[in-house]
Amino acid sequence: MHKKTIRDRSLDLLIYLFLLLVGVITLLPIANVLSKAVSDESAVISGKVGILPVGFQLQTMKYVISSSQFITSIGISMLVMIVGTVLAIALTALTAYPLSKRNLPGISFIMLLFIFTMLFNGGIIPNYLLMKELHLINSLWSLILPALISVFNMLVIKSYYESLPESLEESAKIDGASNFTILFRIVIPLSGPVLATIALFYAVYYWNDYFNPMLYINDAGLKPLQLYLRDIVMDADSSSAMNKSADDMMNVSPEGVRSATVIASIIPMLLVYPYLQKHFVKGVLIGSVKG
Amino acid sequence: MSMIRAELEQQTAHMKRKSIHKSRWKLFRNNYDLYLLLIPGLIFLLLFKYAPMYGIIIAFQDFNIFDGFIGSKWVGLGQFAKLIHSDEFYQVFNNTLLISFYKIILLFPVPIIIALFLNEVRRAVFKKTIQTIIFLPHFLSWVIISGLFMNILSPSGGLVNHVIEWLGGTPISFFLDNHFFRSVVVFTAGWKESGWNAIIFIAAIAGIEQEQYEAASIDGAGRIRQMINITLPGILPTIILIFILRLGYLLEAGTEQILTMYNSVVYSSGDVIGTFVYRQGLGQQDYSFSTAVGLFNSVVGLILIVSGNELSKKLIKRSIW
Repeated sequence: MHKKTIRDRSLDLLIYLFLLLVGVITLLPIANVLSKAVSDESAVISGKVGILPVGFQLQTMKYVISSSQFITSIGISMLVMIVGTVLAIALTALTAYPLSKRNLPGISFIMLLFIFTMLFNGGIIPNYLLMKELHLINSLWSLILPALISVFNMLVIKSYYESLPESLEESAKIDGASNFTILFRIVIPLSGPVLATIALFYAVYYWNDYFNPMLYINDAGLKPLQLYLRDIVMDADSSSAMNKSADDMMNVSPEGVRSATVIASIIPMLLVYPYLQKHFVKGVLIGSVKG
Repeated sequence: MSMIRAELEQQTAHMKRKSIHKSRWKLFRNNYDLYLLLIPGLIFLLLFKYAPMYGIIIAFQDFNIFDGFIGSKWVGLGQFAKLIHSDEFYQVFNNTLLISFYKIILLFPVPIIIALFLNEVRRAVFKKTIQTIIFLPHFLSWVIISGLFMNILSPSGGLVNHVIEWLGGTPISFFLDNHFFRSVVVFTAGWKESGWNAIIFIAAIAGIEQEQYEAASIDGAGRIRQMINITLPGILPTIILIFILRLGYLLEAGTEQILTMYNSVVYSSGDVIGTFVYRQGLGQQDYSFSTAVGLFNSVVGLILIVSGNELSKKLIKRSIW
């Protein structure tokens, strides 16, 4: 018995150390950029900043946040995220309902049409040419429309509808309720949590998407945050962030500006993260158990 | 007698069929509003999913934007012949497979280990804190993650190179060195998703019956034995299912990720099918050739995932659809 407790204890130690290490590795890159964003410029340039700020200042953050391109981009991202999420959750929730009625003729075929798009797609170029044909290049709709239904998300909602007790709908039908009444008065109100979760999935998708903007948006005034950030990150000398007048640049370095821009882009996500985490985990579990 | 019975059976079968037919029509008519509800979704599906599939025909053409889909010259499998004879494609295909294999071999076990270990943690606060931290990177975009790692791996003043110098080494330009670029791609992919991917295994572990552990500990099995003999076999079907699913994405080595990280210096190690399609198509405007490459990619992906699903049905009686 005694021997086993020692073994168990060393196992515990190994486990705690491993998980601690994973946690530290996760936080390190973020902590490093964060401290560069709020450290004194000379310390940043001379490479003295580790995980703690050296010579705390908020000048660089202020400079980044007040840049007109940053403000424009945040606005564009918000707009795309809000409009996209509202339309996407509405369309997904409504389409999922008829698809949950598997006994209706033709439904399983239509379901197959949806599922097939998860396995096979046209690819980048045909999608680009489609947007061109639709005259959506340099339109924010090109970011919103192609992502309105994620089949995976729809399957999660569909299986949730299917899990609701059938007796509810049947008794409403006996009382003479139409399908629409049942959907809007019974099914959707009962699906609040799952719909909220899927709405968050969409919101995070729209907020983080840089691929579609990279393909379809080249007008600087329409660049969402991720695309703006990409210009700054990929652009080694960071000239696009440095288009302010010379005296503004006196005490900011490209590296500091880059770090501050990354941090400014992370902050909105960090603010809602505790809430996100709770709902996302739930959503993944619904999807995995029933999907 | 037997003839009459046969005749009767035929009759009733016919009537049954007729009534099924009739009731199907009735079902359709009584629920026409549900079908109306499908219309917006179907329009979306046709326009944004199936129309691009129609666009694939340009892979068999020498497409140019002025002649359009109908007027462009047909070249049959010409683009695919070009693909087979292109050295660049071999390079790209090779990179794709290598990065994908590294990602699978090195990263697939990590979430399983994390889940197994988290399950052993009894201190709720520690468990919760670690989970909150390791789920976070999933919510960051690739652009942000590239920014984070370009900073920490920078050859001039990056934290990692500081440590390398301190240990007596010379600084490494991780993003500009063909020896290291793939490692950066694999590591950052693990950094982003390992924690998050553990969720599904955490859920699977939660589904294992507690009695099994109780019985085992009465039998004197220690925690390591329990982990290996109960927990691991308990989540094995989930592991196999996720692994098969993962194999289906073999040719998707991380296009969106690499597009935020690479540059012309590391094309020879980091250019993958997806990034190649993007560059050839939208950079060089070689629409037909890049669509052909993309089609090759999609078809192989489709075959992989369908056969993976069949395999999973046979092996563990579970399927993805």
